[in-house]
Amino acid sequence: MSNVLRPYLAAVRSTLTAALTLENFSSQVVERHNKPEIEAGGSREVLLNPLVISRNENERVLIEPSVNSIRLSIKIKQADEIERILCHKFTRFMMQRAESFIVLRRKPVQGYDISFLITNTHSETMLKHKIVDFIIQFMEEVDKEISEMKLSLNARARIVAESYLTAFNA
Amino acid sequence: MILLEAHNVIIHTTLHEKLVKPSSLDVQFVDFDGVRFRLSTPEKDKKNILLLSMHIRCWDELVKYGALNVLQREYGALLLPNSEPEYNVSLQLDLEQAPADQESREAFVMSLALFKRNALAAPFESAFQAQKRLEGGSQLGDLMAIHYRDEEAIYVQAGSDRVTVIFSTIFQDETDRIFGKVFLQEFVDARRQPSIQNAPQVLYSSRDPPLEIRHVPGLRNSEEIGYVTFVIFPRHFNNPAIAAATVSHIQSFRDYLHYHIKCSKAYMHSRMRHRVAEFQKVLNRAKTEQPTAERKTVTGRTVVSR
Repeated sequence: MSNVLRPYLAAVRSTLTAALTLENFSSQVVERHNKPEIEAGGSREVLLNPLVISRNENERVLIEPSVNSIRLSIKIKQADEIERILCHKFTRFMMQRAESFIVLRRKPVQGYDISFLITNTHSETMLKHKIVDFIIQFMEEVDKEISEMKLSLNARARIVAESYLTAFNA
Repeated sequence: MILLEAHNVIIHTTLHEKLVKPSSLDVQFVDFDGVRFRLSTPEKDKKNILLLSMHIRCWDELVKYGALNVLQREYGALLLPNSEPEYNVSLQLDLEQAPADQESREAFVMSLALFKRNALAAPFESAFQAQKRLEGGSQLGDLMAIHYRDEEAIYVQAGSDRVTVIFSTIFQDETDRIFGKVFLQEFVDARRQPSIQNAPQVLYSSRDPPLEIRHVPGLRNSEEIGYVTFVIFPRHFNNPAIAAATVSHIQSFRDYLHYHIKCSKAYMHSRMRHRVAEFQKVLNRAKTEQPTAERKTVTGRTVVSR
């Protein structure tokens, strides 16, 4: 992990750990319903203040806590057209497999690339600090993966072009 | 396998098989750019007579640029005056008259496998000849357009000191378009290397057609289209062997580019699959272990939860 990235991830980690204090909470609007309040948004008093941790204008994390659920959205760095398309492909690929990634949301929140939804059930069946680890590791590696894919695309393009043009000399 | 082969593998292997053991046959198959082939034995009792027919979308244009002469030169008496219905051109060959020794037999089969390449070679060869005629002057030869796919075409034009070949190509989706741009940029940059300075010059433009073909009617002007220009110099076609290699090579450009774009997409996909599996493992570590051991009472009865 680079030194520039560390404070950013540390901020996300401590905020997320602090926000992950969830309890079972039945709906106040409909009897016998129990929904993630951050998604339902039915009663305003159970929503807490949302928080944005921003590394720069292209990379930021939005954490929206509530009494029984927390939504975390990540905006991934996209410097150019290639990174944009690779990031889009990668997040789409993951979100299509959302059911196996229990805490992953199928659609990102507007303005972000990927969102997670952690409910009180998740924090009861899974270890809280490990969920935080997962999210931090995801943030660490997704940038690396995208830049590696971009490099490999460029390397392949160069080899392809060179071998095509060299064949004219033969 | 980085470079694509110019010959058709199905023709090549089937003919080799049938030369060893003739039998009745009727196969239809396709090649790049929607070219259809049919290889059959028209008469049941004569298993040594084979008919090879080809349908190619731009046949009328190719005939205009002298494809029949090229095929006549390559295949001579094998070329039938009338083609099989539904196909553009047919060759009839007698397996018993194929050369006996190994080397010339291989050359014979290979020349048949290059059927499509030879048909498409006509405009290039006529451009090479036109360049010889125009040498020293400042005139330009005729612009030859070959619409070899639905919305894509090759334009060939001879100049006084060069032959210009322009490909128009469509990128189906946005990923293809962006990948294509990366690849084509490398084609332009690769020539800076000293080892390939002798290669033809490559230029590309997305959206706007190059000046040479800007007057051609019906060009599309949209995001997903790209134009690639190759400038071929006389050193690439001065001697007949080099000219033949150049023609085979440049024909396959469009297929080569798109083949590698698809390959990169497949590679990205396998990478993502791997990475997502890794993330899955990390998340699974978060799950608390369920007690799996069987619980029993003092008397030995098993506790089952319902």
